[in-house]
Amino acid sequence: MNVAEFRSNLCAWLDENDLTPSPDDHSLDAHHAQHSRVLSVLYDAGWMRWGWPESAGGLGGPAILRAVVGEEVVGRGLDEPGPYSMLEVLTPTMIDYARPELAAEMVPLLLSGRETWCQGFSEPGSGSDLASLSTRAEQRGEDWVVNGQKVWTSFAQYATRCILLTRSGPPGIPNHEAITAFFVDMDTPDITVRPLRTMHGVDEFCEVYFDDVVVPADRMLGQPGDGWRLAMDLLPFERSTCFWQRIAYLYSRFDRLIAEVNDRGVQDGADDAALGAAYLGLHTLRCRSRETQYRLGTGTRLGPDTSIDKVLLATAEQRIYDAAHDLLAGAIELDESSWRTEYLYSRAATIYGGTAEIQRNIIARRLLDLGKE
Amino acid sequence: MDAISADDLDMLADTLRKTMTASSGQALDKELVELGWREMLEEMSDTAIPLVFRLLGETGAHAPVINDVVLIEAGRGAGETVRLPYVGGTWVVWERADEPTTAVDDETPIHRVSSGEDVPLAAGRRALGWWLVGTSRAMLTLARQHALDRVQFGRPVASFQAVRHRLAETLIAIEGAEATLGAATDDFGSLLAKAAAGQAALTAAKHCQQVLGGIGFTAEHELHQHVKRALLLDGLLGSARELTREAGARLRAKGSAPRLVHL
Repeated sequence: MNVAEFRSNLCAWLDENDLTPSPDDHSLDAHHAQHSRVLSVLYDAGWMRWGWPESAGGLGGPAILRAVVGEEVVGRGLDEPGPYSMLEVLTPTMIDYARPELAAEMVPLLLSGRETWCQGFSEPGSGSDLASLSTRAEQRGEDWVVNGQKVWTSFAQYATRCILLTRSGPPGIPNHEAITAFFVDMDTPDITVRPLRTMHGVDEFCEVYFDDVVVPADRMLGQPGDGWRLAMDLLPFERSTCFWQRIAYLYSRFDRLIAEVNDRGVQDGADDAALGAAYLGLHTLRCRSRETQYRLGTGTRLGPDTSIDKVLLATAEQRIYDAAHDLLAGAIELDESSWRTEYLYSRAATIYGGTAEIQRNIIARRLLDLGKE
Repeated sequence: MDAISADDLDMLADTLRKTMTASSGQALDKELVELGWREMLEEMSDTAIPLVFRLLGETGAHAPVINDVVLIEAGRGAGETVRLPYVGGTWVVWERADEPTTAVDDETPIHRVSSGEDVPLAAGRRALGWWLVGTSRAMLTLARQHALDRVQFGRPVASFQAVRHRLAETLIAIEGAEATLGAATDDFGSLLAKAAAGQAALTAAKHCQQVLGGIGFTAEHELHQHVKRALLLDGLLGSARELTREAGARLRAKGSAPRLVHL
């Protein structure tokens, strides 16, 4: 089946099967319920399984099929980009690093929306310098015992499992060899989840505390010391298939902006310049990301070049919401609407997933070969 | 001429690069005719345009071949000149003979004319986009090498983060513009690609000039030729600023943002 045919079949199916969320409830609980509902229906119809290997409950086919499904699901507003994007980073990690039986058992639970998982990476003392993380894992008999604190853990309050990075082994081992990953059940005793209040008013990020939390050895992902490689290996997915659906989301919001600007009826050349600049950024990002999807599809190993995609995405996103701020004058400041939430959230686009500065450092070092700082 | 193999394309690129390094202007125009430029343009423009125009930018050479691209798209024959729209609603001619010019880029025989007639611009915009991307790459190469070679405070200036980030920003702009050029097929896609390439060239000019410091401001260093070429080409067939505003007007008229590329 070619990609265009796959998309048109999917669109026809989505046109016939209405999964539109309730327009009234914008709470995080409602988003979560909608996420589970959409995934469940799409999994039963097979759409959520394309592009994943059969060994993990998928139906096979190239990864690009997942990008197509993500584009339609998120672009049509059926699911929010945040929760949906988690699938793209968590699933490849399980397939590549979990025991095959564990991946086969667990992945369908995630893709079908029966469970939500989270990613315990960042810590209060380890943001850009992730490899300095200090949450400890110590071996005791057959088990490992985890102590420490994670932060910026998205949707931890809904999560039944966590892919967790810890520091294991004796001191003195280099950071990049000292990190070990685990697949942890969130109902294990002595895990505490506390949602963070953030400036955009949506409590999707959490602090997660681990106090002598016991994790069975067979829940280790890979071998001791594989954790850093695991974290780096998920970046190509985060920045390919995952970006494609975020781009679809931004296009849908930009359509809305154009409509609202037209509704207001007052336009001048400066408005056109702002809309044009936002569109140029978005179009450039989409062209670049399409090349990246194709490279992923041909088996090319994606690397530091995806830092360019990341910068283009953050830039385009902020430019769209800057345009919304300028053209829908007063809307963000005075009215309760999704524009305010989204504008405020867009301020984080140059911070999460590797800051804009970290990306430029990587581009300078790895793509321009400028040597050490 | 049928489809060209990757090896043949590499050989052709080598030949073109040598030719452009050795000659420019009217002489290069003639050499390109002998190398089969006009046949390539008529029969395989999707290969010929990126190849030739990008190399013009990278080598710093110039030739009046934008005329050919616009003439062929208009269904006319190559080899003449055609009046071309310039920024601000004005018109210019890019002469085929070497002659004195008042243009900022004082090698290129471009001059104002009082009026012109509408011609199709999509292919011409793609061509100038590739030229601007090549010019941007040339500036980045110069600035990168300078940053590695130039020592201040006892270390290469490339080791300073402020310098590194300017060069990174330049590469991001160039790579983004190349992606839009690679995806440009229709009229709107070509307009956007020219805008992205013009913006990338202006970004490259600003950052590379700064990284090159004093030496880049002298006439003995070649940077200034690329900076001036970028300024000149950005205005031709619509500047980044004008085309961006036109894109915004088109979106309002349409009422939504077209998805011009798909997986």
